[in-house]
Amino acid sequence: MSVDELLLRSRFTPLKNILSYDVFNTGLNGWMTLMPNFTEYPDFDVPKTLVCKDQWPPVMLSSATYRYPGTHGAMSGTYSLKLSTRPIAAPYTEIPAPGCLGHAIKRLSFYRPGCRYLQMECWFSYTAEQDAMDPDDRPQPGLHENSIRDFGMGFDVQEGGKRYHVGMRYLNAVDGKMVQRWQYESATPGTDKDWAFGLEGDWCKRGVDPWWFGKRYPDGSHDGFQWLEDGHQKLCYNETDCKLNWQYMRLKIDTQKREYVECQCQDRIWDMRGIPCDTVDAYGRIDNLINPLFWVGTDTNRRVFLYVDSVVVSQE
Amino acid sequence: MKTFNDSHLEVKKFFSGPFETHPYEVGWADEAIFFVMVEKVEGDPVMKAHVQLSQDGVHWADDDTPEAVITGLGQHIIKVNPNFGNYIRIRVDISGGQMFLNIHIACKG
Repeated sequence: MSVDELLLRSRFTPLKNILSYDVFNTGLNGWMTLMPNFTEYPDFDVPKTLVCKDQWPPVMLSSATYRYPGTHGAMSGTYSLKLSTRPIAAPYTEIPAPGCLGHAIKRLSFYRPGCRYLQMECWFSYTAEQDAMDPDDRPQPGLHENSIRDFGMGFDVQEGGKRYHVGMRYLNAVDGKMVQRWQYESATPGTDKDWAFGLEGDWCKRGVDPWWFGKRYPDGSHDGFQWLEDGHQKLCYNETDCKLNWQYMRLKIDTQKREYVECQCQDRIWDMRGIPCDTVDAYGRIDNLINPLFWVGTDTNRRVFLYVDSVVVSQE
Repeated sequence: MKTFNDSHLEVKKFFSGPFETHPYEVGWADEAIFFVMVEKVEGDPVMKAHVQLSQDGVHWADDDTPEAVITGLGQHIIKVNPNFGNYIRIRVDISGGQMFLNIHIACKG
């Protein structure tokens, strides 16, 4: 057994059929920033939408190099996949500011019959930019953990005439206050217009693209995400913005029942059986689509980063 | 086989005045090229662009790549001098009008 296979089997718990095993020390492996659809007249313009995807910064291969310690590297070699935001954020309950998100996606599809379960698992870390001191009105104004609003991972899936987004979101902070609770993607009932902050004629359907759409509330609630029961969890941010600890998370869904199965972070596993995937009618030209994705959001006018060392997508 | 990657830095947006591109990590690469596509102009804009390097992605200094002066529609190329370390960006100043830009960085290594 090769070292790579040993690491795969010891660090991950893949289902029977592995679709992709991406170690970012070897390259980007097809992960890229989600971009708009360049389809409109007269010059490959973008359809009218509230989602300003063109401000999401590019994903990149990161050595995680910082001002004082230098290069942190990855869990596997030197490079990890880095998602970053621009240094801009709106208050939590307002429409997200363009550029306040970083987003990464890989494009796969269902490839054989009988694959009921779909799973995504990764090793990740996250931090805020060590750019400037915050006001000296609290302990450790140079520690910017509460600048990170959220991060997460999930799937965009279309099969059998239905499209659905599933995912797990770590809501880290809301307007500077630490929350540290997990949510899962599922939209509360309502209209498409309401989903798009009242914008008439937006192409998006309720439940689709909840990272951008969906009303948000001061306590961290969100029309596109629901609280995971007993979902409070303090992750390992470490004691300064330039120390990374690699952590594990996993999400498993049932594409036959169109339900969540379970999610995991570090040593905690949540049973999610019985929670339905939030489906809408199929979109054109994306039958059998499986798009695993990551995102990270900033809570203040400071860049924040999500690093992914390696990720496995599997089915059975 | 070498790794190659092209990433967007700005897409389909009007710019005027000074700005800098997003900090981009290229420690894995041996060569880097900024592609500046001018899709539209308003007025008679002139862009001056300088490559900048950073140790930490926060503090920046000009490198010794010559200043690029860009006018007119179409594709323009800024080839970054070798030995660029990890974080790079361009600082840009557009005077005399607006440019509708796509800016990409292409790396190989």
